Amino acid sequence: MLKLENINAFYKEIQAIWNVSLNVQKGEIVTLVGPNGAGKTTLLRIISGLLKPASGKIDFLGHPLEKETPNKIVEYGISQVPESGKIFTEMSVLENLELGAFVSRARKEKDQSLERVYEIFPRLAERKSQMAGTLSGGERQMLAIGRAIMSGPQLLMLDEPSFGLAPISVERMFKAVEKINQQGVTILWVEQNVQACLELAHRAYLLENGQIVGEGKGKELLSFESVRQAYLG
Amino acid sequence: MRKNSIVTPALIIIALIGLIGLPLVIKSDSTINLIILVLLYVITASSWNILGGYTGQTNLGHAAFFGIGSLTTRLLWINGFPFFLSFLAGGVVAVLLALLIGFPAFKLRGVYFAIGTLALAQVLNLTVGNILPEMSYNPDLANYQLLPRYYLFAGLTIVTIGIAYFLSKSRVGLGMMAVREGEDAAESLGISAFKHKLIALAVSAFLVGLAGAAFAYYHVSYYLYMPFGAEWTFDPVMMTYIGGTGTIIGPIIGAVFFVGLKQLLVWNVGEYHLIIFGILFILIVLFLPGGLVEAWQKVKKVLLRWFGRKKPNNHQIDSNKR
Amino acid sequence: MQALGQNLVFGILVGALYGLVALGLSLIFGVTKFLNVAHGELVMFGGYACFWAFSLFGIDPFLSFPITMLLLFLVGAILYKVVFSHTVKFAEETKIKNTLLVAFGLSVILQNLALRFFTADERGITTSYFSTAFTVMGIRLPIIKLASLVIAVVFLIALQIFLKKTYMGKAIRATTQNWEAASLMGIDIHKVYLISFALGTALAGAAGALVSINYSIQPTMGLGWTMKALIVMVLGGLGNIPGTIIGGLILGVTESATSFFINSNYREVAGLVLFILVLVFRSSGFFGSKEG
Repeated sequence: MLKLENINAFYKEIQAIWNVSLNVQKGEIVTLVGPNGAGKTTLLRIISGLLKPASGKIDFLGHPLEKETPNKIVEYGISQVPESGKIFTEMSVLENLELGAFVSRARKEKDQSLERVYEIFPRLAERKSQMAGTLSGGERQMLAIGRAIMSGPQLLMLDEPSFGLAPISVERMFKAVEKINQQGVTILWVEQNVQACLELAHRAYLLENGQIVGEGKGKELLSFESVRQAYLG
Repeated sequence: MRKNSIVTPALIIIALIGLIGLPLVIKSDSTINLIILVLLYVITASSWNILGGYTGQTNLGHAAFFGIGSLTTRLLWINGFPFFLSFLAGGVVAVLLALLIGFPAFKLRGVYFAIGTLALAQVLNLTVGNILPEMSYNPDLANYQLLPRYYLFAGLTIVTIGIAYFLSKSRVGLGMMAVREGEDAAESLGISAFKHKLIALAVSAFLVGLAGAAFAYYHVSYYLYMPFGAEWTFDPVMMTYIGGTGTIIGPIIGAVFFVGLKQLLVWNVGEYHLIIFGILFILIVLFLPGGLVEAWQKVKKVLLRWFGRKKPNNHQIDSNKR
Repeated sequence: MQALGQNLVFGILVGALYGLVALGLSLIFGVTKFLNVAHGELVMFGGYACFWAFSLFGIDPFLSFPITMLLLFLVGAILYKVVFSHTVKFAEETKIKNTLLVAFGLSVILQNLALRFFTADERGITTSYFSTAFTVMGIRLPIIKLASLVIAVVFLIALQIFLKKTYMGKAIRATTQNWEAASLMGIDIHKVYLISFALGTALAGAAGALVSINYSIQPTMGLGWTMKALIVMVLGGLGNIPGTIIGGLILGVTESATSFFINSNYREVAGLVLFILVLVFRSSGFFGSKEG
């Protein structure tokens, strides 16, 4: 479904991504793990169009993405939950969700999408008229994810969704993502909280210093020496 | 960016000789007046460049210092004080004003500093216009001589460019440029941003204050509030950008260009030259931030490549960009 | 006491106009972070549009609003496309500085274009009802000033409704808060910038029409109105739309009070001094703001 080929990218004149190739098949949960500063967020930004690669190709369902604008990429069916959610704090929960369905194809199905989101995250239904800025950390993350699926994406990308969350919230969030995947949405997940993530994922990539250094079935990656040392020790 | 002045010592000497010897060759008063105008703009633009170009603080209140310098000098001189004292007083009062507003003004960063200084200049403009709305006449009209005024401007121009040059090569100047490149980074290196900004402002104010003083000496009769007008900020700013901020020769090119363009279009009705100038200014800000100086350096590079002589120093950077 | 009351009321009426003048600038700044210091010149053009509609075609100044606004909307769209869209490539801090410079170059161009085509003569509009006034409790309320107040408030409310209820309005608000997150929603940021800029310019046009009704207009009036808009914006809180009407009222009353207690020549000076004081002591005005 999504294929990256030999992506090279710079961030302020320093090369951040070196020859990265990866792919995500339909229906999978693929996770991208790696230490801080490895370039995981950068890679997601490139896929979403917020950063342009210097070279390489990105193909999504037949559409080339390397030169596309971010809003077009959302229209094609990719949605990202950015780092720390980045919800619109001065707007209500409902308004945030409505904005998630901004693209025209999603607007028509706004009401169904809302139902779907409320079903996965009942808390959001309770709080729908509240200002997003008043939500707790866990609730904000739920809102961010809910907002991202409002556009009816085929591929949902999450950037460290468990960051700074209490363990209960993390568990709830993982369950929600699993449910979303079961409903047919492919997932590309960037995480530092490696253990739980690798249990859930079908496949995983290990990114270090902007390069892919490992790939395999979720549980297989746990055997990588570096992974164990760095994250499980 | 140390490679900013392409003027070799020989050219400087020629320019100096030309400047000093000019009135011996050119007898036409109108031409001399034109040159004086160019010199005035060179001074106002170069002085702005010290704070605006080298230190990177967009000061939109330049006219306030020009105005206060001219007001001080004119009032003193017309009321009998010896000219040289009045002249220097103009510069001194401008510096005092700079020091006075420097403390609160530099609390503002970037854009806020720009609009804050703009507001300040307007306050002075309106206040002076209210208190002294009248035209100031020169009582000694019969003894008016153009040459001393020319030499005053010529001398001030040399002083201004000299100060700008030596400042740019000094440690203080280096500190100013560091502030321009990044205030926080400069502070972390132990460079006091505030001190450098204040020095730049004081020098800038002093020089343009003296320019105002010379202006007061030069003009026979004018409205006392006129030098406080916004155009005495806007024009030097545009000239400096078009010529090239942060260079010595930039403001000079800009000033010559400005007056030249005005003369060229003088047969057309209306202020076309300002429209063209404004368009050029916008183009430069958007596409050629180094101004005509940068344009010239690019042309030079192309020409040198055509003649087969490659300069080895810039290639390293090129090969890293993909 | 009577005179003071009259003065205060005038300050409020004028303040509403000031609020409208700043509304467009506030919208543009909030969304794009461009500080369009050519705003006063756009107000000036709005004024001239209203004036020419009246003197050439006899259209009543209160009826020519749609024409003026449409015209200025187009002007704004063109200005964005041709000039300001090129500034988005810069990094945040450079972008803000460069848009200021570009706007300032634009103000020089627009002012001189106006001088060239409209001549330096002062223009004014007078219709039959211009000197009509109501008198309430001994205070004179000229009808054109009341109408201006109503119009300013109407525009403020209309803008608020647009921003709150329409999808484009919400997209604009989202972009104001976090443009990256907005683009991840599928919002075309360039389109949002374009519409905000054009809309802000149209509002400047509307304000200009009111200015030509209440005052005279001439090509050099731009800077004064830009300063007023900046003052109101800073008083009300940068990018804070409802705050602009409050900021406007504060400025209006300050000017009137100065006129009453000191001298009417110092109205503008008082506003500018207040501006500088507020800037220096607190950059977020009396109402705070959501600065990006």
